Order: sequence, then C-alpha cells, then structure tokens
Amino acid sequence: MSGGHHVNEQRRGRRVLVGLGCVLALFLAACSNDPYPPEPPGEKILYSSFTEAPRTLDPATAYTTVAHSITGAVYGTLLEYHFLKRPLELIPGLAIALPEVEDLGEGRSRYRFQLREGLLFADDDCFALSTPDARTREVVMGDVAFQLMRLADPKVGSPVIEPFANIEGFQAFGEALAERRGADETFAALPVHEQYAAIGGIRGLATPSPYTLEVTLHRPYPQIRYWFAMEFSTPVPWEAIAWYDGQDGRPRFDDHPVGTGPFYLAEYDKHARYVLEKNPNWFGVRNPDWRAPSAVFPEPADEEDVASGRGEYAGRSLPLIDRVIVVREKESIPRFNKFLQGYYDASGIIKESFDSVVVEGGLSDEMEEMGMRLGKSVSPDVFYIGFNFDDEVIGRAGGERSRKLRQAMSLALDVDEFLRIFNNGRGVVAQSPLPPGIYGYDPDYANPNRRFDLERARRLMIEAGYPGGVDPETGEALELGFDTANTTTAGLNQVRFFTNAWREIGIDVEIRPTNYNQFQDKIRRGDYQVFQFGWVADYPDPENFFFLLWSNMARSVSGGPNATNFMDDRFDELFVSMKARENGPDRIAEIREMRSILERERPWIELFHREDYSLYQGWVKNVKPMGLSVPTYQYRDLDPEARRALREAWNEPVLWPAYTLALLAVLVVAPGIRTYLKERQ
Amino acid sequence: MGAYVLRRLAYGVGVVLGVLFLLFVLFFAVTEPEDIARKALGDKAPPEAIAVWLENHGYDRPLWPWQDFEENLLFDHYRRMLTFDFGLSDADDSPIIDRIRAGAGPSLTLTVPLLVLGLLTAIPLSLVVAFFRETYIDRMGVFLCVLAMSVSTLLYIIGGQYVIGKLLRWYPISGFDADPMMLPRFLALPILVGILSGVGGDVRFYRTVFLEESSRDFVRTARAKGASEPRIMARHVLRNAMIPILTRVVTAIPFLFMGSLLLEAFFGIPGLGSMTFDAIQSNDFATLRTMVYVGALLFIVGQLATDISYGFVDPRVRVE
Repeated sequence: MSGGHHVNEQRRGRRVLVGLGCVLALFLAACSNDPYPPEPPGEKILYSSFTEAPRTLDPATAYTTVAHSITGAVYGTLLEYHFLKRPLELIPGLAIALPEVEDLGEGRSRYRFQLREGLLFADDDCFALSTPDARTREVVMGDVAFQLMRLADPKVGSPVIEPFANIEGFQAFGEALAERRGADETFAALPVHEQYAAIGGIRGLATPSPYTLEVTLHRPYPQIRYWFAMEFSTPVPWEAIAWYDGQDGRPRFDDHPVGTGPFYLAEYDKHARYVLEKNPNWFGVRNPDWRAPSAVFPEPADEEDVASGRGEYAGRSLPLIDRVIVVREKESIPRFNKFLQGYYDASGIIKESFDSVVVEGGLSDEMEEMGMRLGKSVSPDVFYIGFNFDDEVIGRAGGERSRKLRQAMSLALDVDEFLRIFNNGRGVVAQSPLPPGIYGYDPDYANPNRRFDLERARRLMIEAGYPGGVDPETGEALELGFDTANTTTAGLNQVRFFTNAWREIGIDVEIRPTNYNQFQDKIRRGDYQVFQFGWVADYPDPENFFFLLWSNMARSVSGGPNATNFMDDRFDELFVSMKARENGPDRIAEIREMRSILERERPWIELFHREDYSLYQGWVKNVKPMGLSVPTYQYRDLDPEARRALREAWNEPVLWPAYTLALLAVLVVAPGIRTYLKERQ
Repeated sequence: MGAYVLRRLAYGVGVVLGVLFLLFVLFFAVTEPEDIARKALGDKAPPEAIAVWLENHGYDRPLWPWQDFEENLLFDHYRRMLTFDFGLSDADDSPIIDRIRAGAGPSLTLTVPLLVLGLLTAIPLSLVVAFFRETYIDRMGVFLCVLAMSVSTLLYIIGGQYVIGKLLRWYPISGFDADPMMLPRFLALPILVGILSGVGGDVRFYRTVFLEESSRDFVRTARAKGASEPRIMARHVLRNAMIPILTRVVTAIPFLFMGSLLLEAFFGIPGLGSMTFDAIQSNDFATLRTMVYVGALLFIVGQLATDISYGFVDPRVRVE
C-alpha cells in the first residue's frame, strides 16, 4: 500500500516537473523581443506607431493628425505640396496643372481645375454597384463635385464648412437638402448621390467635361487652392458611400476608405494596427512615363537637401517603399524604447529621455554611435495669451490706460524661461502671430513689446496709472482673472508661471480653472479677462493666422474664433486686402502694418511656436517634415539590410541574469530542504 | 438552495440598476454631452458639427425624466442596457458589440494563462511557506509577500518593461499579435508581470488558509498515523482549503472576459481592459456604461457561481 502511494507520488511529481518544464520551455522558446514576423525578402517596409485610434477616415470629417496619416496616403488630391521646397509651395497632384483663375468681377472668381485622364480608384468591391464585377473605375471630376456636396451636407457634419462656403450656392445646397429631407420621407430614403442630383448640385460647381471642374467663388478667397491640397476635396466614388453603410456585415465608409492615393489601406484594426500597401492603381505606379510632378522625386530645393543625399533620388518614381506597418502604442515610454531597439523607424523624443538624447541642441554621443539622426522642425502654429477687449479693465473701454497695462503684462513674461522649464527648451519664441515657414514671417523682426523687460513693464504700469499694481485714485489693487480649461497639474503650473511673473509688476491675477463648456458659457456672457489658446494652421498662408483677430470673427459678434473680440478698423481693412492679394511686396507691406498694430494694441501676448524634435534611424532616408499633417510616406526610402543587421546587434538577449536567478533560488531553498531532511532523520 | 439563488438574483438586479444609475449621475456630474462631442471631434470643430454629432448620438435630449418624460437620456440609458442594445462608441462611432467580440479573445489569451499560472505559482509557494512555518523561509516569505504587495502594479509594469524588455531583451516591451507563432512572446512579459504583482497577496492569503487548516484535528490524526509532511500538505491540507481557494478563483473567472485594465493598456493588448481604458480617457460614455454594466452582471454571475460551487466541494453547505 505504502509502496503504491510512493509510486503515485513519484508519478505525480514527475507530471508536475514535466508541466513546469513545458511552461519554462514555452517562456524560453518565446525568448525574442522582435515584435514583428519575418519580413518577406526584397520588400521595403516602414514601421511606425500611433497613439489614439482615429475616429473616422471619412475625408469629409477626418480632421486629426492620426486620421490624416492614413487619409493623406490613401486619398489623392487635385493639388499637393512640393516635398522639398520651404516655404511650402503647391504643385499639381491629380490635376494636370495648378488651377486657372478667372476674375468675374464684383469679388467673384472662377477656378478651373483640369484632371489627368485615365486615373483609377484603388481596387474595391463597391464598384460592382455601377458595373457588374468591376473592381475599379476611372476617376472623374464628378467624384470631386460629389465630395464637395458631401461637405455641404448637414448630415455629414464636416468641420470645414466655413472655407468652402465661399463657393457660390454651397450653403443654399445644404439648406435645400435639409429642408427637402424634413419634408419628404421618400426623398430622405434615397441614396445620397440621388438626393444630391435631385437638389441640382451646388450652383458654383460645374463639370463641363468629365475632366474639368469649375469652382465659382462669390467672394475673394484665393486660399481655396490650399483646401484642394487637403483630403476634404478628394474624389470620392458615390459607390463607396452607397455600399459601405455598416449594414449586412459591410464596414462603414468611416472605416473603409476608397481612394486614389499612392497607398491603399490593406489592413485596418483601428484600435490595434493598420497596414498601408503600395496602390498598384495609382498613376505614379501605373504610368511612371507621365513623370507627373507628384509622382516623381523632386530636385533638391536647398543645400540641406543636397547634403543629406536627397539629390540622388531626383527623378525617381514614387513610392519608394512597398508597405507601411503602423502599430498602436498608447504609452510613450514603451514606444520610445522600442524605437531605440530599432523596431520603429522614427520617433519623437519623450520628455523623460530628452537630456540623454539631445545635448546642446545636437545628438548625444550615444545616439550618434547608433547612427541616429535628429530632425527639427517648427510647427505652423502659435500659442498665445489673449485679452478680452470687451472687458472694462483690460479691454478697449480703458483706452490708453488698458493698452499700457497689456503692454506691461506682455513685457513681464520670459518665454525663453517658460520653454526651458516646461518644454525642454523646445520652441521658438513668438514675436508675431506668424510662425516660421509662413509667408510674411520675418526672422529679423523683434517685437519691442514682446521681449522680457521688467523695468519697462514697471514703468508702463506707472504710466497706466497702476504704480506697483495699485490704482492711486481708488487705492485698490489691480485684480484680474485668468480662465483656463487645462486643469491638470502641469497645465495649472504653466498658468502659475504667468501669474507669478505678473506679480513681479504688481498685478494680482487669479487663476480660474474652468471646463470647456463653462468657458464657452463665460465667453457668451463676455465674463472673462485673460485666457490662453493655441492655433495650428490648416494651410501655409498668413490669412490663416490673422483671421483670428479679424472683427468678423469676433466671438461676441459672430461666435467666431476671435475670442479676444479685438476690433480695429485699420487692421480689418488691411486683412481683407491682404487676404485677397497674391504674395508680393504689397502683401508684405500690409502684413507689416498689421503686425505693428498688434505690436501696439497687444490683443495677444504671443508666446511660442512649437518646435518638434524627431529622431530617425540611420537606415531611413528622405525625411523632411512639412509641419502640416501631410504624410509623405511615398518619398521615404530605407535600407532593410542595414536595419536587419543593426536590429540583431542591438537586441541580443542577455541571459546570465536568468541563470543567476535559478542558482540563487537553489541556494535559498537548498538549506531549508537540508534542515527538513535532518529533522526527519 | 433554489430560494437562496432566487434571492441572490433579486439582489443582483437591484445592484445592477443601482450601478447604472450611479454611473449616469457621476458621469454627467463631471462632464456634459458637449464635452464628449468636443473630445470626439477635436478643438477646431465648429458649433454646427458639434450639433450634428449631438443629434446623431442622441445627446441633444434632456438628461432627466422630469425635463421630458418621453425623450430623456436616463430612460434611454436603462432601455439600452437592459435590452443589450449597446449602440455606437462615442469616441469613434464603432459598434460597441463588435468591439466586445473582437476584444474578448485577446483579453482571454492574457487573463486565462495569468490565472492558471498565477495559481500554479501561488499555491505551491504558499504550501512551501506554510510547510516551513516558523522557520527563516516562512519569515522571509512573509516579508517578501508584504513587500511585493506594497509595490504598485504600475511599477511592476514599468520595471518589467525596462528590465526584461529593454535591458535583458528577452521579450518585446509591448505589442500583440494573435498569430500562434508570435503570441507567446507578447504574452510572456505581461504574464510574468501579472504573476509578480499578484503573487505577494495570493501567497499570504493561501498561507493563512493552509496554516489554519494544518492546525485542525484531522491533520494531527494524519500525522499520528505516520503520513509524511509533504503528503499531509498536498492531500489533507490542500483539499480542505479548497473553499477559500474556490471563492477566490470562481469569483475571478467571469472577470477574465473583462481583461486587465493596466496590463492591456501598457502592453498594447487590444482587449476589453484596453477598451475600457480608452473609454475612460476619451469620455466615451456609451462604451464605459456598457463595460460597467457587463462588469456588474459578471460580478453577480461570479457570486452565484461561487455559492453554487460550494455545494460541490463541501456537501455541508448544500445541506444547510
């Protein structure tokens, strides 16, 4: 009996050992930190990451950087930006040339776009709707007009209605559509392309031939061209909208793009990963003999292009890579560490590692040894503190006294110090609303009311009638309120930096944390004094910055983005003229005068333009950030062999700690077992 | 037993309804529908786009029945949850039921091995510690357990990623691939970290249970009959300690579907834990309420399953 027990126990013990062995073997077999399966030989694959899942890939509504990194690669546009030239310059994309502009008088103008013939959409099941068994069809200007009608459709909810409302009949089309849908249920049940046709389309859009689109504007807005370099105006096939409705197991159009770009979306799990593959139907791939400007690598535009070897690529057909694999990484530290292991081809620099990566503006020795390269680019944006001009103390009612107060507050802020404390010194101190890279930006301009000068600030306080921050007439200390919707610790610390600086000149500014809706509510009531905002440009034109201070955009008048409610007749006059003018000396003169008005009036304290530092692996070629959220995957190149060799060298597993741990475990347990056995004896 | 189960079920329904109400009140006390819309559409979205979004998602209706008895968000909230019509995510408009289906697999591939390996680690360890009671191994074990319990899971994750993923380069720092050839390497590190962060509490708990059992009369009898110490621990003590072990395990089983919030979020595993984490970060009320509702339902199922399972391991419970 006891012998049987022994045998059973031995067997059980053996089973346990085998089980443990299996688990250990599995852990050992899995011992590799390579997150990717082996690459097919000869393919060029770019590896990248994203943080937040894109809400939608519908080009009418997608308005985030992460969405644009897909839609920009998948949807072709009539116009594009030159990859190398700075400031950015428009070139023809799907169009044969830049549009011809015809002045129709009374502020009206007509833009005529000519489409390349023989362009195809990427292969997709939806085209069987128009032609049985078809996988694609030719792109026509009707597809662009259809997409523009979608922008006007109130049901689509596009965020860019305002600029396109410059097209004649754009708003009327949306209103007629909504009205008809409300009145006629049969109409509302029709597919949207039939609804649009029944309404008669947008008056200002005409397609005299399948390859010609005429866009008539009812007021001057030359910036409309830039909107034709964005996916909002891409050709969209009606078949895709009709087919991808989320019914019967089909995805929704939001998650299933059908485009004309250099890549197509081969895999899409929006919460985990997506894969872009070279689109065999793209005109650059199908018709390399066309030498279309947007399908060929351009000539170097500056010395940096030549120095970095981009000249060797001039004239080569695009795209240079076969596939882009983009994996979701929610957390920045794992993402950065995987980049350092060679598993991502490019990365931003996380705050925690900044000092070990960047030394005195250049790469650290360690990074240099790894062959990394540092890319710096200034974003086309501006961050600023604004004053509410409707406020009695700080605004226009106070006249010269308030003006001097605003100037003093502007001079009290040391933005260099701010950037050093909160942003690792990254950023360009702003002198005017215009960031580098935007027409009209002047690197030599130094705003006399924007530098850090406490002495002058204090003098201005005296001139404003607030010596030491106290009004001698009433004997009361000057008190202001700073509304902020960023109530995180970091956000409040930043605001405290400003309020502490103002305390130096005697102004007591109370921080009023508030959420976005409460702030909106305060804005409606005009109940705010000082606030902080930022603006990222949609396109590289000074109009896209100065309109934030145009009286037509004043929040209290039209609900527009001019939250300062700054209204200056001369500024408005210059703005309207500058907006309609082509680039040239006259436009520069107007920009300078507008700048000097802002310099004096100080509706804003311009703080900084963000500066992005990016790291690139040595094997990645042709990285030249555009600033705007325009993906440039088709221009990238890489050396897969160099990557493979370095990845192997960087990721040799270190196994001695595993052996040491095992030994340690034996050393700890063995004496215990010995004691036990001794006791048993 | 039947009446008991029915009573427990009735309590469960009350708990679920209460949880749903609390979630509604708390969520809309700190946020407003416009906040959700703005988070989904971005800062540049004009008021028209916000209005369209609110209408499409039904947030243009008043919150409470006394504002509009027919069309209010509270009643709609209950109707949707009780009929399992979860609707679309507020963050990205994807059908929530599809995401639950897609996320359950990755969650289970993490949580099932984690539970099994966690038990296989914690029970033998606690048996060893209990076996060597009152020796330096026991004291050292308890000290290490308390130490392990005192460290936050986040630190284990970051430390694990740094030491095992970055310095030793054994496994990927993060990521997921359902391919059977790739899966083990992605799961190894989160499972190791998961076991490490839970083992302290588990060992301490099971050790107490085993010590309590090993001072019982039947253990003394077994010892008097000459049974070996390992045999006493494995056969007598372990078997009789099954009730508390089962309570812990059976309650945990339904939650395996819910995934692990932190492990999934930090290791990039696209499971239901990660989905809940996203929903919290993006003010996605529709997804969050679904996950809380499913969590509450699973909790009740877990409780019931525990009660019923007692009957199987301990006939005395059934008799009572």
